[in-house]
Amino acid sequence: MFRAKLPPWLVLLLPAFIIILAVVAIPLILSLYSSFTPYHLTRPDTLWKWTGSFNYIKAASDANFWKAFGRTVLLLTIALNTEMLLGLGLALMVSKVTRGQRALRTAMMFPMMFSPILVGFQFKFIFNDNVGLVNNALQSLGLTDVAIPWLVDGNLAMFAIIFAEVWTSTSVFAILILAGLFAIPQDPLEAAKVDGCTPWQSFRFVTLPFLMPFIYIAMAIRSLDVARAYDIVQVMTNGGPARRTELLWTLIGRTGYVDARMGYANAMGYIAILMSIGFTIYFFLKLQTARRELGMGEM
Amino acid sequence: MKGRVASSVLALAAGLGFATAALADGEYAGVTIEAKLIGGQQYEALYARIADWEKATGAKVNIISQKNHFELDKEYKADIAAGTTSWCVGSNHSSFAPQYPDLFTDLTPLVPAESVAGFVPANITAATINGKLTMLPRAQFDVSALYYQKSLYADPAKAEAFKTKFGYDLAVPETWDQFRDQAEFFAAPPNFYGTQYAGKDEAINGRFYELVVANGGKMFNDDMSPAFNSAAGKEALQWFVDLYKAGAVPPGTTNYLWDDLGNGFASGTIALNLDWPGWSGFFNDPAASKVAGNVGVAPAPKGSAGVRTGWSGFHGFSVTEGCATKEAAASLVDFLTNEDSQKLESAAGPLPSRTAVWAYVKDQAKADPYKTEVLAAFEETAKTAFPVPPTPYWIESGNLIFPELQAAILGDKTVDQALQDASDAVDSLMKENGVY
Repeated sequence: MFRAKLPPWLVLLLPAFIIILAVVAIPLILSLYSSFTPYHLTRPDTLWKWTGSFNYIKAASDANFWKAFGRTVLLLTIALNTEMLLGLGLALMVSKVTRGQRALRTAMMFPMMFSPILVGFQFKFIFNDNVGLVNNALQSLGLTDVAIPWLVDGNLAMFAIIFAEVWTSTSVFAILILAGLFAIPQDPLEAAKVDGCTPWQSFRFVTLPFLMPFIYIAMAIRSLDVARAYDIVQVMTNGGPARRTELLWTLIGRTGYVDARMGYANAMGYIAILMSIGFTIYFFLKLQTARRELGMGEM
Repeated sequence: MKGRVASSVLALAAGLGFATAALADGEYAGVTIEAKLIGGQQYEALYARIADWEKATGAKVNIISQKNHFELDKEYKADIAAGTTSWCVGSNHSSFAPQYPDLFTDLTPLVPAESVAGFVPANITAATINGKLTMLPRAQFDVSALYYQKSLYADPAKAEAFKTKFGYDLAVPETWDQFRDQAEFFAAPPNFYGTQYAGKDEAINGRFYELVVANGGKMFNDDMSPAFNSAAGKEALQWFVDLYKAGAVPPGTTNYLWDDLGNGFASGTIALNLDWPGWSGFFNDPAASKVAGNVGVAPAPKGSAGVRTGWSGFHGFSVTEGCATKEAAASLVDFLTNEDSQKLESAAGPLPSRTAVWAYVKDQAKADPYKTEVLAAFEETAKTAFPVPPTPYWIESGNLIFPELQAAILGDKTVDQALQDASDAVDSLMKENGVY
């Protein structure tokens, strides 16, 4: 009886190949293929109708798509930088604490432990114009006598969403930067002190360059996170009103699952992924530069 | 045991007076019906009756999914895409049903004609899509009537100030123009507002739709091309814009959905509220509502064409085309929508969809003036109610229309520009899908 003999290395790797094929490769190829069709969830036969680049051209020429794209980049830029600055401040302060630091570090991670959906509901209530905590506090303190439409005004709504994002994820930066602070060798800091550097100069020219690789790693992780922002926004505003807070994934989610236009949604998704890839490459290049400056060599 | 089952079937049959043939003793023994049902406290009482049907027929019901309709809608679409439609009974809604033309089977050959004849004819018409009776309506008929705070109309100072300003007597509004005047008159933001409206998703679309119809227009032409960019459409959208600009509605109203509206009126900060029948009990419950004892209910006002608004919908049950035991599934659907089921369900407030149950519910409410007022207002509104346009693109086109309505309300676009943009977007959607 003939038995095919596979080389041992292939036999050992086969389970991994099969799992990657089934879980990643095939769905990816199928979704890429469907982005070239008018695939509509309720009409499965549309999956076999090839329309070429129609969906991509449609997305590229849709002003609403590009506005959502721009808004996502804006959210990413503001949220990431704010989280970085706050995280850096938090980490610097926590690193100085001598007693109860462990408890502090654990407490710092609490916001990360909440489901983003619940965070969304929490901030939706806090920023509600009629019964929300913020407006009630402002009115009780006599700071305003009008109901501020936090989740309606374009700028205020984006602020509220960014606030929720920052609240929930600043600790990602803080924890990673704290790890960086612990890894800094003490010799250069002591040498700086001996040379008469001010605390600011020590921080700016010694501590910060050592922290930059950690900051860029945190940036790369969070940029992927924020670029696919969906849950908090979906709950707080669902991209509205009047598309004022529409982000890429609220638009794509609605198109794919509510409107059932999965082919078009996938095309938009692939364009959106380009943005994530772009940001990741950017942060890794910065990371490489930062490591090179520290003499850590190429990655 | 068998004797008990038989006698319970007999008792049940005597109570129903129709469709008894479907519940022959043990007729479907060994059959298991997989069902996807709408979940939520207000729907659970009816599901308790499923055990009675199981006992009578010998079949078993396995509820494999329980979600709200928006989630069920996504699940049905995923099922169609994946071809996993062999489950049998699904909750359906008249607004969603046109989206799944092939998912559900025609119930006409499966349900006794006399059972179908017992429903309000307009409901059966709305449940019939492309000639197929796709669902049987349960006692969850929805149309909106006007809830208001009675005390506002009993204050002579207010009545006089109103007459001086508007030149006519202050009385519960019968037209949407009067409604706008009064909402602006009663508003005292940020603590009290004249009214509120659902401001997003299908909710604002439905409100816009019924106002367009009340103003003498329509949403779509017969070929399903958009028809709302008309004088009637502009008048309807202007109504929303005027109320927002005047500060007569809460500034966050464009983010509100049904729960926000219900809780808002119950908080006592809203004068006039167009809302669904399901809220009537909640509004008059002293434990839940600050306006309890002060709630008046009137038929929905009329638009400029003299037509009452009446966007209506109802929940129902359907049987899938892929179900292997359609007769048993249809028997369950028939059972869950029969007179006894509807009496049970409507006892908690929702409106029935069977003619005989309407009479029963009104009779039961005789001793309760509030309930009688509620039923009278909703019955009057239901007389001229109309379902959503029969197109599978109702939800999809709505997702293109509502952001434009919001843009006009918030002042990002003019009424003309918003309706033109919405109309263009819907036109290309229809063309892209080969509708015309």
